Amino acid sequence: MSQELDEIQAIFFEECAEGLTTAEQGLSAMAAGDVSAEVIAGVFRAVHSIKGGAGAFGHAALTAFSHRFENVLDEVRAGRIAPTPAVTAVMLTAFDILSDHVAAAKGTAPLPDDAAALAALDEVLTGKAAVTPAAPLPAPVAEADEFGFTPVAAVVEEFDPFGFEPVGVVLEELEPAGSADWTVRFGPSRAALANGAEPLLVVRELEGLGGQITGVDADALPGLRDLDPEDSYFIWTLSVPGTVARADIADCFDFVSPDSVVEIERVATEAPAVIAAEPLVAETPPTLASLPPVAPAAVAPATSPAESVRHVEPPAQTIRVELTKLDMLLNLVGELVIRGSILADRLSPADQQRVELPELARLTREIQDNVMSLRAQPIKQAFSRVPRMLRDLSAETGKQVLLETLGEMTEVDKGVIEKIGDPLTHMIRNAVDHGIESPAERVAAGKSPEGTIRLSAEQKGARIFVRVADDGRGIDRARVRAKAVEKGIVAADAALSNEEIDQLICAPGFSTAETISNISGRGVGMDVVRSNVEALGGRVEISSVPGQGTTFTMILPLTLAILDGMVVRLAGQRYVLPLAAVVESVKPEPGQVRPMSPTSDVIELRGNYLPVRRLTDVFGFATNGSRAPEDSLVIIVESEAGPVGLMVDTIEDRREVVIKSLDQNLHPIRGLGGATILGDGSIALILDVEALVGGAASTFHPLKGLAA
Amino acid sequence: MSAIDTPGERKIVTFSLGSQMFGIDMKALIEIREWEDPTPLPGVPAYIKGVTNLRGTVVPVVGLAERIGWAPSEVHSRSCILVVNIGGNQCGFLVDEVTDIVLIKAEDIQPAPDVETHENVITGLVQITARAPDGTQGQTGAMVSLLDLNTLSLTRQMDFAA
Repeated sequence: MSQELDEIQAIFFEECAEGLTTAEQGLSAMAAGDVSAEVIAGVFRAVHSIKGGAGAFGHAALTAFSHRFENVLDEVRAGRIAPTPAVTAVMLTAFDILSDHVAAAKGTAPLPDDAAALAALDEVLTGKAAVTPAAPLPAPVAEADEFGFTPVAAVVEEFDPFGFEPVGVVLEELEPAGSADWTVRFGPSRAALANGAEPLLVVRELEGLGGQITGVDADALPGLRDLDPEDSYFIWTLSVPGTVARADIADCFDFVSPDSVVEIERVATEAPAVIAAEPLVAETPPTLASLPPVAPAAVAPATSPAESVRHVEPPAQTIRVELTKLDMLLNLVGELVIRGSILADRLSPADQQRVELPELARLTREIQDNVMSLRAQPIKQAFSRVPRMLRDLSAETGKQVLLETLGEMTEVDKGVIEKIGDPLTHMIRNAVDHGIESPAERVAAGKSPEGTIRLSAEQKGARIFVRVADDGRGIDRARVRAKAVEKGIVAADAALSNEEIDQLICAPGFSTAETISNISGRGVGMDVVRSNVEALGGRVEISSVPGQGTTFTMILPLTLAILDGMVVRLAGQRYVLPLAAVVESVKPEPGQVRPMSPTSDVIELRGNYLPVRRLTDVFGFATNGSRAPEDSLVIIVESEAGPVGLMVDTIEDRREVVIKSLDQNLHPIRGLGGATILGDGSIALILDVEALVGGAASTFHPLKGLAA
Repeated sequence: MSAIDTPGERKIVTFSLGSQMFGIDMKALIEIREWEDPTPLPGVPAYIKGVTNLRGTVVPVVGLAERIGWAPSEVHSRSCILVVNIGGNQCGFLVDEVTDIVLIKAEDIQPAPDVETHENVITGLVQITARAPDGTQGQTGAMVSLLDLNTLSLTRQMDFAA
């Protein structure tokens, strides 16, 4: 049971994450000036759902905070607080705290200190209270009535005095006396039970508002023989004190499925609640089946327009699927592809020409594409945490930064999205700390005081380009170079091109910051970016114009599961070389490959000497006397350290391979990016070019050697 | 896997490495494969013979004799690979010959005398009635060393190294 609860809780947190994303987008839009009712209502709904779910799971701190936040949002939504930039800023801060609260509820972070944010929210609310009488109100009567209730609403402890929902739309519900008790009828639908909703919790919540059960209508209860234990037959009648705002009662039913019976009625002032309940029960149709249409009508007037919109939303068109199941599916499809090619290999050429086989291959490919698209997610998920980070960074550094995002709907494999979070964080921090200047410096340089960071994603072929561009001061190459020399990363007399200098900032331990700040300066940042991106089979490009800004580009594969590779043969074994790294292949002439030292060779290529690695040596495989270079092929690959030649025996094929991880059953092996299964069922190892070329020594040694 | 466990009894698969008999728990066994040369891996200890394709999964193959400190097995016609599941990870062990599946009683297992120097791969010793080559029940008892698969786990081994 507790496991089930955990699962439901996990769904709640997923929904929280979605809600937070929606809220953040809405708030960002508001900050950008779009204060349409739709946007505000969207934020309100998101926060409201988080509150509701948090309440159901007993996350008191989260509930309390989201409630206070919601109050302000509600006032904004109702037009009683103008969404001025100042108010939006308070709400953005509140949103950040809300995210922290969610993390705390999840147990991944300590409980945030929300006092300041709460105070700011309250200030916004009280500011509104002072303005209210003068402001034109859509329903003054309702307003007055609400204020009449205000002092007593505070009976419910954690609800602050402004916790009511606007009830301007339900004028007809208002009784002059305003104190008559509510009669609430609640009949959970069958669906509610099937969804795991516990009616008792709703009843308890009503009791928390001071409600009492006055009757249970069991007319619909069939004989024991016909009883379906999973169906719901009872309709409860509760009496709730008239001092409770209707919206608070309606709130209790937020998470009750829409076809449940929910009726909230005021009883005539004199009539005791129990008596009033009697006729209602008598009117009740004997079966639940005929009731459902009543329910939405009964709920709708009680809730605001935005809420009723939510109730009429069509049933969700999505289902949640565990990622592992998708992975399994992807794996199986990969198998199918492999089996397909095994089959094709076995058939005679005549049979291979028949239409069925290409047809099968096409279908398999389509299945594969579809499965891949299932794992694809908009890159927005990775971008979504950037706005908050920028707010924090701006607060820390005093720099003003605007964020522009482009192409956030670009779809990328889920695995890639998960892994670019870290590099992205470092790139953004780097851009703010090193790129963007302080407002004063910017003005002095003739720029607007606000810096701009442009975050963009686009797909080109099978690669994704993620760019972080700032309009800051650009890379100070003289300083980078001086630092690199000082740290011994390059030789003092090395002649380095601008691009090479730019690449230096990705060197391990490199930092130009004079002081180590919270933000950067430890010299790990860009090194992490580079190694993470390379681990994904991508690379980082840097371009910088002094005084105008720097652009970091992460070039990533669309998927981590399939690789376009070149199958090479080496000492009798087949290996796959990622095609992305291959520049060209050379059949050396006698004398073109020369030994530079007993253990290393160089190849002369169009006047340049490039290092050559014999893979058999790198891997330490015993060979029966090394082949002469003329009998081998040198494949020139692009690496961080520039082009390097890899000596292999022959090239066999070019094909897409499904990557199987080695560390699932073994452990990562340096120089290998994984393994794949070829058409004949045998295994080929996938080479990790960077690791092979870099070797155990520092990656920059080859560069030093070359440049010096 | 339809065998119903009787409390205190368990099934073990016995196999030979050289002249020694070893046993592993039947429950851990995934399958027995004929030997085929695995794809060699660079930069791994010599006892890891390489990786092989087990229905789409890349599974490492370990020379069990070398792994536990005996002379490396010579591959011959009856050599086979025991594919086992160790804590969710799959691993293949090269053994000289799979001999039998026997039912043993828990009380018959003796703890291994503490003579191992580096790591304890043997959890216990048990006497079984060896099956004679003609299939009839032989009279002589044979000693079987029960292996602790968790100690042999490759992923665990690397954790130590790291």
